[in-house]
Amino acid sequence: MNILVCFIAAPDLDKLIEEDWVIDKDLQIDTSFLKPTLNSYDESAIEIALRLSDASQKTKVSINHKALTIASTPATTILKTLNALRFKQVVRIDSQDDFRFRPGAIAYILSQYVLKHATQDVLFLGRQSTVGENAKTHLLVAERLGWPCITQVSGIEVIDENHLVVTSQVDDGQIRQKIQTPCVLCIGEVPNTFMRVPTIKDRMLYGKRPIEILSTTDFQLPDETEELLDLKVISHERHGIFIEGETPEQKARELYKMYLKERLEKI
Amino acid sequence: MPLKRKQIVEALYNIAGKDHVVTDEQILKESSVDRFRRFEAYHGVYSLPMPAAVVYVKNTHDVAAVIKFANENRVNVVPRTGHSATEGGLETALENSIVLDGSGMNQILAIDTYNMQATVQCGASLQELDDRLREQGYTTGHSPQSKPLAQLGGLVATRSIGQFSTLYGGIEDMVVGLEAVFPDGGITRIKNVPRRAAGPDIRHVIIGNEGTLCFITEITVKIYKYFPENNQFLGYTLDNMKTGFEILREVMVNGYRPSVARLYDPEDGAYHFSHFAEDRCVLIFVAEGVKPIADATATAIEDIVDRHDECVKVDPKLIEKWFAHLNWDPANLAAEKVEIMETKNVCNTTEISANWGIINDIYEVCMQRVRNEIPDLTLLGGHSSHSYLNGTNLYFVYFYNVVDCKPEEELTKYHLAIKKIIVEETIKAGGSMCHHHGVGKHRTHWIQKEYGSSYYILKKLKSAFDPNNIMNMGTIIPLEK
Repeated sequence: MNILVCFIAAPDLDKLIEEDWVIDKDLQIDTSFLKPTLNSYDESAIEIALRLSDASQKTKVSINHKALTIASTPATTILKTLNALRFKQVVRIDSQDDFRFRPGAIAYILSQYVLKHATQDVLFLGRQSTVGENAKTHLLVAERLGWPCITQVSGIEVIDENHLVVTSQVDDGQIRQKIQTPCVLCIGEVPNTFMRVPTIKDRMLYGKRPIEILSTTDFQLPDETEELLDLKVISHERHGIFIEGETPEQKARELYKMYLKERLEKI
Repeated sequence: MPLKRKQIVEALYNIAGKDHVVTDEQILKESSVDRFRRFEAYHGVYSLPMPAAVVYVKNTHDVAAVIKFANENRVNVVPRTGHSATEGGLETALENSIVLDGSGMNQILAIDTYNMQATVQCGASLQELDDRLREQGYTTGHSPQSKPLAQLGGLVATRSIGQFSTLYGGIEDMVVGLEAVFPDGGITRIKNVPRRAAGPDIRHVIIGNEGTLCFITEITVKIYKYFPENNQFLGYTLDNMKTGFEILREVMVNGYRPSVARLYDPEDGAYHFSHFAEDRCVLIFVAEGVKPIADATATAIEDIVDRHDECVKVDPKLIEKWFAHLNWDPANLAAEKVEIMETKNVCNTTEISANWGIINDIYEVCMQRVRNEIPDLTLLGGHSSHSYLNGTNLYFVYFYNVVDCKPEEELTKYHLAIKKIIVEETIKAGGSMCHHHGVGKHRTHWIQKEYGSSYYILKKLKSAFDPNNIMNMGTIIPLEK
């Protein structure tokens, strides 16, 4: 079974200190000094693919897992790590363009990769990135490929060469479905799927295997993919009042007098 | 006849009050270890003798009363404040020990900006003290990675050092005076003066004693003017550590004092700087102080580095922003626990120091031996982060996947096995096996070799000040059976 894990190497926004959240005139934040990292959904997607490969002896289904990202050079470290984790192949589609708010363009490239470069049975995509946060790419990829898409996936079992049992979250619970490949699976919250860490020996043995490099120019984007025209910041600020007082007791008394007493008396 | 647990607890109730004595089983378990055994603790495995109680003392007189009781009844006392030790110094080596916790003695007693010193109780948070000082334009100059967690008593007891040590020095260069309680219950104060030549400097009996001689209750440290607006950050990538050590040496022997002078090898560097220094060493400097000094220091360092062709300058912003996330707060600890439990990938460190002439040899032999002899490593690297006129430190950092062993076997299979290589190679070459974490309980096997003929002085200190062996047994000096 050919599994393609599509991931994004995004700047580690946790490392952005408050004073650096400066939005420029184009509504961009300078993240050039941050190390790229994986979001938790992509980490889960990668780990699940590795676990399916681990289980292939038991399931008797050979797993051919490949990882792909659309990114510039700094993502290379992550790709080397995936090599060391023994992904069969890792691919970087080189891009200097800003794809953060262009899920349609990403979906086009990914679907073209599958159709023209390497046939796949299953695509894993993390639910959403920490930048852009479009949460649409998986749906758009499935639409372009004409494949079914299951969202909020939390568990995957391989049944045979052409079938998977997929567990996914829905509003009021979980569903398990047996589905036929090909399909697109959008990986949601999956407990206990931190990405494993390769040993130094594996990094030396496998980490330096070649990374297949393509370019976004290899995928001529049609005119109808979207173009970012504007971004607006939604203010989430709420009014707040500092309660003054010398001691916590005084502050609690003031809170009671000003805000709670009247409400409590009405009960 | 040793006292029974109940008798010890009763006595502690009488001394400190019932509200300040904790005998909850889980708290006792957690108080039997420090971060050295965190992998076991995460798995709920506590293999050491259980303490009788944890006493949260309120003042120096309570400390004195508890220690006097322990001394009279031969009960082991483990002093602690922030509980962030990493070398097993807070482990309870003996059953029914008293864990004497000074974290409640947390007051900042005085900030004297005329005489440039601040006085605090042992449980004062370093973060809080430094934040208070910085609001007024001053700083302690002390910034260990544990700054958000550590308290002054523990920092002094372990001879802590901070990230800006190349300018400000280690904690031993900052401490002016102290108050401490010795095993007979006597309260000793060393006054706060700029210098004295009235015999040996007895501050150093207390600084770094790791709770084996006394309990530190109050500390006065120097404070410094703080000029963050003048900070200059410099960063370079380079091919090899040997060149890096040479540059650090040139900076130091020519008298320049950047607050930060750090050199990372490619492995350790990749963990922090892979976005700009893949497979390269990284050299970092921060020049600070009043503007003429900061500028002159930065210019001189640039001149020195420029003489080495292999060095490539990087955007200073990469360095400046990296510093903002170097320290460990409770959120980091919580995240580390989750990650370790999920991945079984554990990080540990061992820090040593040596003169310039041997530091690179120690680095190379340790890297080679650990890499060849230890299984399941996922990262093995090192950095120098504290430089001196005559040498520097090396901080070996290693991650490993815990494979095919029980939680209680993890230390023996990995961390202690690595530590053994590093310590033995360092001592053999003529360096010191501990740079700034203290000896704790797991480098005691080599303490005689570390001291050589001067071990006599250490042993005499212990027998003179703690004749009944009640202070943190098994720390610094090995437990004799």
